[in-house]
Amino acid sequence: MSTEGLKSGAAIAQGRLLLRKMGVGIALLVLMVLFSLSSEHFLTQGNLTNILTQITINLTLAVGLTFVILIGGIDLSVGSVLALAAVVAGMVISNPNLPAGLAITLAIGVGMLVGLVCGLLNGALSALWGLPSFIITLGMLNIARGAALEVTDAKAIYSFPEGFAYVGSIIFFGVPLLFVVALVLVLLAWFVLSQTVFGRMIYAIGNNEEAVRLAGHSVFRYKLGAFAVCGLCAGIASLIYMARLGIASPIAGVAFELDAIAAVIIGGTSLAGGKGSVIGTFFGACIIGVLANGLILLGLSDFVRQIITGLVIVLAVVLDHFRSRISQAA
Amino acid sequence: MSLLHPRPQSGSSGYAPVLRVTDLRKSYGGIRALDGVSLTVEAGKIHALVGENGAGKSTLIKILTGAIMRDSGTILLHGKPYLPGSPAQAKAAGVQCVYQELNMFLDLSIAENVTIERFPRRPLGMVDFAEMRAQAIRALSAVGLDDMDPDLPVRKLGIAHKQLIEIARALSKKSDILILDEPTATLTDREVQKLAEILMRLRSQGLSILFVSHHLEEVFRICDQVTVFRNGETVASERIADVTPELVVRHMVGRTLQAATVAPRPKAPYETEVLAVADLKTTAHAKPTGISFSLKEGEVLGLAGLVGAGRTEVLRAIFGADRRRGGTIRIDGAEVRIDSPSDAIRLGMAFVTEDRKGEGLILPMSIKENLGLVDFVSASRLGLLNKSAEASQADTARDKLSIKLGRTSDAVSSLSGGNQQKVVLGKWLTVRPRILLLDEPTRGVDVGAKAEIYEILRGLAAEGTSILVVSSELPELMTLCDRIMVLSNHQISGELNRDAFSEEALLKLAYGQNQEVEVKTT
Repeated sequence: MSTEGLKSGAAIAQGRLLLRKMGVGIALLVLMVLFSLSSEHFLTQGNLTNILTQITINLTLAVGLTFVILIGGIDLSVGSVLALAAVVAGMVISNPNLPAGLAITLAIGVGMLVGLVCGLLNGALSALWGLPSFIITLGMLNIARGAALEVTDAKAIYSFPEGFAYVGSIIFFGVPLLFVVALVLVLLAWFVLSQTVFGRMIYAIGNNEEAVRLAGHSVFRYKLGAFAVCGLCAGIASLIYMARLGIASPIAGVAFELDAIAAVIIGGTSLAGGKGSVIGTFFGACIIGVLANGLILLGLSDFVRQIITGLVIVLAVVLDHFRSRISQAA
Repeated sequence: MSLLHPRPQSGSSGYAPVLRVTDLRKSYGGIRALDGVSLTVEAGKIHALVGENGAGKSTLIKILTGAIMRDSGTILLHGKPYLPGSPAQAKAAGVQCVYQELNMFLDLSIAENVTIERFPRRPLGMVDFAEMRAQAIRALSAVGLDDMDPDLPVRKLGIAHKQLIEIARALSKKSDILILDEPTATLTDREVQKLAEILMRLRSQGLSILFVSHHLEEVFRICDQVTVFRNGETVASERIADVTPELVVRHMVGRTLQAATVAPRPKAPYETEVLAVADLKTTAHAKPTGISFSLKEGEVLGLAGLVGAGRTEVLRAIFGADRRRGGTIRIDGAEVRIDSPSDAIRLGMAFVTEDRKGEGLILPMSIKENLGLVDFVSASRLGLLNKSAEASQADTARDKLSIKLGRTSDAVSSLSGGNQQKVVLGKWLTVRPRILLLDEPTRGVDVGAKAEIYEILRGLAAEGTSILVVSSELPELMTLCDRIMVLSNHQISGELNRDAFSEEALLKLAYGQNQEVEVKTT
């Protein structure tokens, strides 16, 4: 083969790779064009702000889940951990004996800490003995939810300091501040996954754990790290939840893990691990949010929305399956 | 089936051929797995299949059991053409097989395991447990397990009993030919004796048995006939009474191979001991005595032996990839503790595993990412990847090992087998190991790349790297090594220095025929 042929072959491969990476983004764009054509309300600033507000929590959870799914694991407990972190932080923040500033600062620390600890427990138990994370985190799903209900006696916590709820309502040029927080998390996660040793090992472990172990690296430590990131994100999501709704409820976040997993999968990350990106997860969360919003604007019921979201998840995995078969054949 | 439902013996001669294979051929891609295999199996005889690893025994078994299709050649079963298209067809035709890797349902009972392929039924699809037990008891007594409780879960049985249950299961259907693939590999001497008695009893009832074994002594004790495989051909098929173990070994090796393969290699005086292993016991095998040897600076030590002799296990145990049952490892005379691969790497070891795709490479990742997998220290700072350092690390490896590649950012899966293997080597060379452990370093590598890898290894040894290499290809070991140690059944059966290398001597040791071979120690 001539060098020219080689070059154009490489160019095609590059193009295909780009298309593959951009596929989810293009799908989002198509979806938005369709909705803007079919509803005049869709492309208004108010509605877009609304969408951003609605996807913020799911996006935050999904960013953390991307790490766990990339190593070939799963975390089903993020919704319950969100609730536990929220009520613990809520108890701190609503403590009348603390000055407001200190209470808010402490609550932020405590919320993130509770998430981190839950994540570390998930990681330690599943990675140390090689137990299936599906089962461990299913256990944590129940434990965290039960603990949240127990410590609050199943009552929601209100009466947050003024300033805290205010943060949840700040909007710059149509972009909610809380969404910016989630966006910063996305960029941070992208940096960690693509530019650090930790990120490289996440991908390597997801593809071939044994090769990583034989290369002399501690698989345990990196797996623990991935679950810790996931727990931390659930903790941050709990703070976003509280700031947005001004309430810390022990029944917050029920089934949130399902939407978060869906965002990661639609974003092109393989459940088998080793393949995917947090940018994909970002688009995945956007697609879920846009679908929910757009379908309601079209006057469809929430039930239909659920059916269509389900179809999109299946479609994403089917498309990915064929895409990887084609790229293997090439 | 003849055992459970005895049928008349096939006349006084007993020499009627049950199976006749003529000029059987099978290729995988360009590789000829079978290149002219012919043999005749007579009724009521035990027929041994012997040959080196990869000589074609397994391929023949796969064809006979319907796992794969032949390319050409004829197979006659009871004089009629026999071409099973699936394992089920082979079984229905009366060809049963017990594989080396037992396929059992550990938590089901013996009775369920024996009858699993066809549970006795009652109306409405319910299982007839009484009939199941009765069938199981009959099948068990056919293999000499009269007092075994058929309700026992198989998990509670030892390996020898599991094997007998598998044989009982095979025989519980119509069987004219029973194929046993290395049935004795995991058995103790007493268990082998018991198995031999059972096989002889089955033989006297008219069953023909194809017996694959790596132990010539057993072959000569149990079998009536022997067929020798070499490079996909059957080179001899004789009655046991007409041959000697020496003759069989000579057939396996082939005379022509011996002289040509030993290339001269400058002999250096190796003095400094780098690695000393004493009484190493791997988890794979429970032997009272372990394995002991030493490796000198710049020396290339080969580890020969048959598949299952425990070669890979030794490397993995030294490297800390698997737990050890006992033994000490010394480096530069000082005892060291190796509990994990990272310990071994810190002590200057590297390990190229036999399974390049499963354990060596991360296939979807790029060449440079794979080359950087071991040594992060020089390609990162404060946990951040230094991508230009990584790229130059990859360029260095590419030039040093002459890896033929497009760009180092291409996926490693785009490379040929030989170049992939060079990437595995290159990843380890980034940490400049003093002790290099190699397991089948040229498996699936073409001839040209093979020669280049040999050259790289010689260069490393000349620079003072000590190399311990496992290979199933004797010419490879004879080309590379200063000294070859032979493992047989998890024990060192002998050791040869370069001037004593011959395939015949190595094979004799590998088959445990070590009595008349001179054992040299350094």
